[in-house]
Amino acid sequence: MKNLTHETIENLFGTLGVPLAPGRAERLAPAVNGLNVADPLREKLPFEVDATTYVLAQERCR
Amino acid sequence: MSNAALLTLAEARARLGQRDISADELLQACRARIARWQPRINAFIDTELRHAGAASGPLAGIPLAHKDMFYRAGRVSNCGSKIRKGWVAPQTAAVLERLDAAGAADIGTLNMSEFAYGPTGHNEHWGDCCNPWNPDYITGGSSSGSGAAVAARLVFGALGSDTGGSIRLPAAACGVTGLKTTWGRVSRHGAMPLSHSLDTIGPLARTAEDCALIFQAIAGHDARDAITSRAPVQVNLMQRPLRIALSSDWIEQNAHPEVARAVLAAAKVLGATREVKPPAFDTLSAHCLTVMQAEASAQHLQWMRERPQDYSSAVRVRLEMGYPIPAAQYLEALRLRTSHLEQFVSTTLAEADAYLCPTIAVPLPTREQTGPGGGPDMPKRLADVTRLTRWVNFLGVPSLSVPCGFDSRGLPIAMQLVGRPFAEGTLLAAGHAYQRETDWHRRLPPE
Repeated sequence: MKNLTHETIENLFGTLGVPLAPGRAERLAPAVNGLNVADPLREKLPFEVDATTYVLAQERCR
Repeated sequence: MSNAALLTLAEARARLGQRDISADELLQACRARIARWQPRINAFIDTELRHAGAASGPLAGIPLAHKDMFYRAGRVSNCGSKIRKGWVAPQTAAVLERLDAAGAADIGTLNMSEFAYGPTGHNEHWGDCCNPWNPDYITGGSSSGSGAAVAARLVFGALGSDTGGSIRLPAAACGVTGLKTTWGRVSRHGAMPLSHSLDTIGPLARTAEDCALIFQAIAGHDARDAITSRAPVQVNLMQRPLRIALSSDWIEQNAHPEVARAVLAAAKVLGATREVKPPAFDTLSAHCLTVMQAEASAQHLQWMRERPQDYSSAVRVRLEMGYPIPAAQYLEALRLRTSHLEQFVSTTLAEADAYLCPTIAVPLPTREQTGPGGGPDMPKRLADVTRLTRWVNFLGVPSLSVPCGFDSRGLPIAMQLVGRPFAEGTLLAAGHAYQRETDWHRRLPPE
């Protein structure tokens, strides 16, 4: 995923109606972009997996 | 008994059963310690009796107190916040119903991080909770009062919640035992939500045996929390053998030398010899943060629109972090959870029942270093403290934090044992085996 710019972040907050102090978007951008980490399992992720399949995995992994 | 409050929960239970002591004597002993310690550590929010103990049941007459986020109908739950100050709960949490049924007394509410969204125990609305071993240092959070109250022997056990480490961090920092349960093991009905894909509830107590007693009282399916499992709740503290894996090289290279020494010594006591490649702590932790921040921010959206000034600056900043996370990134993290859980179980735990690592790999910071005036190093210090807890929440597996030493400043050091889904019993058995061989859990903070 591409990095978010501070302008995009300001627009998002405006859309949500959440007030954001001046200059905050510039500080939020690197922190939010930092969460988008490389993960070797991403490429092997089966198409059929969704958030709910985790509960089935829990049972398999007991 | 000169001071009944110093007994473990299991010992107190046995004395009550033998009629060597009465429930009222236990309660008075706790109250006397609360009066002495509360001005120093600010562990309690309210010390009014909320539920009298019963004469029968597995926890009959045992004084407990809980993080101020477990609702009791008609009583106030402030959730560590200004926004919910004085809020009266319309329902009782499933976990409190179960502890009531087990006969436990509920003797007050405990301090916590604002909305359970902070890893240190700072709270600008209700006052910081302070570490009983040295009040200049953090208690760990967000179940700060639970860790401090149990460590100072003000109660025999306490409930906490753990979304990114909030049971294990205060357990480790305060020198008590804390169990983060499997996601779906304990009902969250009537507990304040933070991040529904990660939130778990569990006990903090003096020993693994005490945690087992509370865990067995609260765990199990509840139709009011749709994710709760029907997996049987089994604890056999004498379960053997226990095969424990670890990554000694990683610990030696990444943990502070005093922490590494204590944790590797604990590994020897447990006979942990299976060396494995460490899980991808930092990747899993980033996924955990993605999920936690997206969900917590959504949960708080209305108040963030209408009352943003009523949050502390630290919590407001954390909540702001969640709004720009793309929905696809959030959902991809949840999809990756299945693959990572399967990988952890099939590789890290391929030939082991539990994985051992430090709970906190760095020396405990002070409240000043991690508070509002903490300066430019503060974010790094917080990241260091939480580095080894969030990955467990992302996987959704259970973890037991156990005291395993003290550093040169006299502050506790802890290890955590991480297991398969629903294997709390195995972890408690390992913790119990360790505590039969060591006495770290019996040491008391200086009076």
